[in-house]
Amino acid sequence: MSVIFLLIAASTLVAAVFLAAFVLAVRRGQYDDDRSPAVRMLSDDRPHTNATSLTSDLAPQKERGAIQ
Amino acid sequence: MLLTIVSPARDASGQFRAMKVKEVTTVTCYHCGDPCVEDHRTHDNKDFCCQGCEVVYDLLSESGLCDYYSLEKQPGVKQRNTVDEQRTELFDLPEVRERIVEFSEEGITRARFHVPQMHCSSCIWLLENLHRIEPAILRSRVSFTDKELVITFREDRFSLPHLVKLMRRIGYGPQLTAAPGSGKAPGVSHIMYIRLGVAGFIFGNTMMFSFPEYLGAGTEAGLKTGLQWLTILFSLPVVFFLSTDFFTSAWAGIRSRQVNIDQPIALGIVALWTRSLWEVFTGIGPGYFDSLAGLLFFLLIGRWYQTHTYRALRFDRALEDFLPLIVLRKNGAAEEPVKVADLKPGDRIIIRDQELVPVDVILRDGVGHIDNSFITGEPLATRKSVGETIRAGGRQRGAVIELEVLRSFADSRLKKLWAEQSRTLDRPVMPRLIDSVARRFTIAVLLISLGAALFWWGKDPAQVWPVVTAVLIVACPCALALSMPFAYGHTIRLMGKRGLFLRDAEVVERMAHIDTVILDKTGTLTAREAHEVQWHGAPLAAEDRTLVRSIARSSTHPLSAVLVHELKGGSVDAIEVEEVAGQGIQGTVQRTRVRVGSAAFCGHVEEHRTNGEAHVHITIGGLHRGHFSIRKRARQGIVDAVAQLGRRLRIGLLTGDAQVDADLAEAFVGGSMRTRCSPTDKAQFVRDEQAQGHRVLMVGDGLNDAGALAQSDVGITVTETSAALTPASDAIMDADAVAHLPHFLRMARSARRIVIASLCISLSYNITGVSFAVSGQLTPLIAAILMPLSSVTVVGFVTLAVTLVARRADHS
Repeated sequence: MSVIFLLIAASTLVAAVFLAAFVLAVRRGQYDDDRSPAVRMLSDDRPHTNATSLTSDLAPQKERGAIQ
Repeated sequence: MLLTIVSPARDASGQFRAMKVKEVTTVTCYHCGDPCVEDHRTHDNKDFCCQGCEVVYDLLSESGLCDYYSLEKQPGVKQRNTVDEQRTELFDLPEVRERIVEFSEEGITRARFHVPQMHCSSCIWLLENLHRIEPAILRSRVSFTDKELVITFREDRFSLPHLVKLMRRIGYGPQLTAAPGSGKAPGVSHIMYIRLGVAGFIFGNTMMFSFPEYLGAGTEAGLKTGLQWLTILFSLPVVFFLSTDFFTSAWAGIRSRQVNIDQPIALGIVALWTRSLWEVFTGIGPGYFDSLAGLLFFLLIGRWYQTHTYRALRFDRALEDFLPLIVLRKNGAAEEPVKVADLKPGDRIIIRDQELVPVDVILRDGVGHIDNSFITGEPLATRKSVGETIRAGGRQRGAVIELEVLRSFADSRLKKLWAEQSRTLDRPVMPRLIDSVARRFTIAVLLISLGAALFWWGKDPAQVWPVVTAVLIVACPCALALSMPFAYGHTIRLMGKRGLFLRDAEVVERMAHIDTVILDKTGTLTAREAHEVQWHGAPLAAEDRTLVRSIARSSTHPLSAVLVHELKGGSVDAIEVEEVAGQGIQGTVQRTRVRVGSAAFCGHVEEHRTNGEAHVHITIGGLHRGHFSIRKRARQGIVDAVAQLGRRLRIGLLTGDAQVDADLAEAFVGGSMRTRCSPTDKAQFVRDEQAQGHRVLMVGDGLNDAGALAQSDVGITVTETSAALTPASDAIMDADAVAHLPHFLRMARSARRIVIASLCISLSYNITGVSFAVSGQLTPLIAAILMPLSSVTVVGFVTLAVTLVARRADHS
């Protein structure tokens, strides 16, 4: 029966962790916009080809050393 | 027919986007949903209403973005000339970049745009897939509640003006919002969400810890004390973190010697906590910690629900909001952009069609057709010739004009007018229902506890403290404090769906007390851009109408544009077209000589002309056929709405115009009507009404209403185009919803009645609880049941009642 102390402690800890995660999410601004995330998840994820070309472009620029 | 608006968004011209229920009898555009009348095109088996929409469709289908059309039907934004569109090159200016660019390094720039046109999921989808149209765009992210778009792109490959041009092409051109910093309403702050989360956490856990006690499974002493200490630990944040707002508000009330609703709440919290601590330390009982946690949880939910604001709308205005940021100044032969604030007397500036004149000027070149309706309320444009003065704030409707600056912005009459309006703020204070209730409630509670104390002092002195604290606990007005946030908060949301956006919940209550409604004419009762065109003369055949349209199309006069728009039908090419400024236009169409213009130009003697009307005469083949009378059309349903208002309330019409049309005037019989009102006249009228003890609601839209709007108990601004041009007010109303004004007032009045009804319900709970408390039988279990029960009942009742009333009134 004394295991109940352990259980209470453990469950309270888990709940506290979730509370901390919630607080973190709020402070990072995840609750500021409640409409776009609902829509955003509906669209298919296509690879961001532009982003990958970014890194490959930067390297040659740095080598050239010229800033345009 | 009910209008529903999903969110306060605008399309390219600034029109509010409404999702209307309409019968489809005509072919509608695949892109934007407008009926295909004039320029009907077909492409790819789809219909488009104009070239603009077709072009956007092409662009999207080329880039493989046709999902735009599958997410929502007809999501497109129609390409219209935006009223305050700045040239894209202006986006290179440092002042403008400062406002937009957040980060720029090594060729990569991140910019934040305000895009009020976004209104649906298709918009969000498209704006976040911009990188598929233009590879130099790396990523874009939408914040829908703020209507903002943050784009990260390679500025070394794709300049900022180019980006703006692209956005305009697809119908989502950014709008430069005005003065920085004077901006966003806070709305629901982060702290509020955190408090809600903590409250829920503590409430749930504390309830759980109390279960063994309630269910009689007392058992081990170790468990009991362990849970008790845990509960005490959890109650600390409840009192010192969650309740701080209530304590500060209660204290502020005490210091200003006023009773507000937070004082009994604060008292209840303190009583609950101290009593519970005492019970635990003296080992008498488990305490009321679960009731305490529950109390805070429900109160915070009520607070959260009430602070629903529209972050994309702005209810406060600075004068700078009304004016363009940049204007073109002539520097020799070249034109350079310059800030309005930097204009000096003697500078020459260029103003084009639909642009606002920012300072007092003299016309030096071109013909001015200045629309002053925003400033003075005169409905039709006045003609200005070279050498005449033009006041700041007028809008040019016609060809390009060159102006010489007379006074700098700081000295302009507009600024003086604005300063006058802002001074009027001696609006009478309306007492809030909740405060008068709080007063009586607190007094009643104190009297009851005093009475109970005296009773038990005589009977069994040991019971005095327990009974008194029990009374204070159960008298805590949780349900009372919930009825108003939920009733008014829900009403705000329902009004928002129907086109009226309130600043905050208190406006609802003020609306419920209104007994006088005053309306402005130009722009409020009449639509700014819609005209009523009537033909006087022998009926015109279709061929004749085509002739007229063909000629009128080549004219730059604003009345010609109205004719072209209102006369349905085709047009053919006209030759030998000659326009005589200020007189009319003539030309040859299908070998017939046609003249369109003033009476003298068409060889006719002018008869009586009513004010507020423009006459355009037509001569075909040398024979005078008659004239069109053009005036601003009253909004649909407005006359009935006014009549409906007049049945119950006092009504009035204040206008800067010299005359009011017959049908409008008829609607105001029995009310007051004042013409030729200056802005100060309007504000004074409102003040006089208030001096007689009336509560005034003012509906207006222009700068000439700003003073009256601020002075009234409730000021509503009507807007149909760009939001930047509405004066400060308590509420913003979509132009289509003006005719629903009686409905909105009814909703507000019902909300108040529902609040009173729910106060009675919560009072009955309080009385039940107090009877338990006074007889010394208030156990923690009873308290823990009573409070959530009363809260849920009140909230459920209020929400249902408000929804039912709104729906019933919709159908009537």
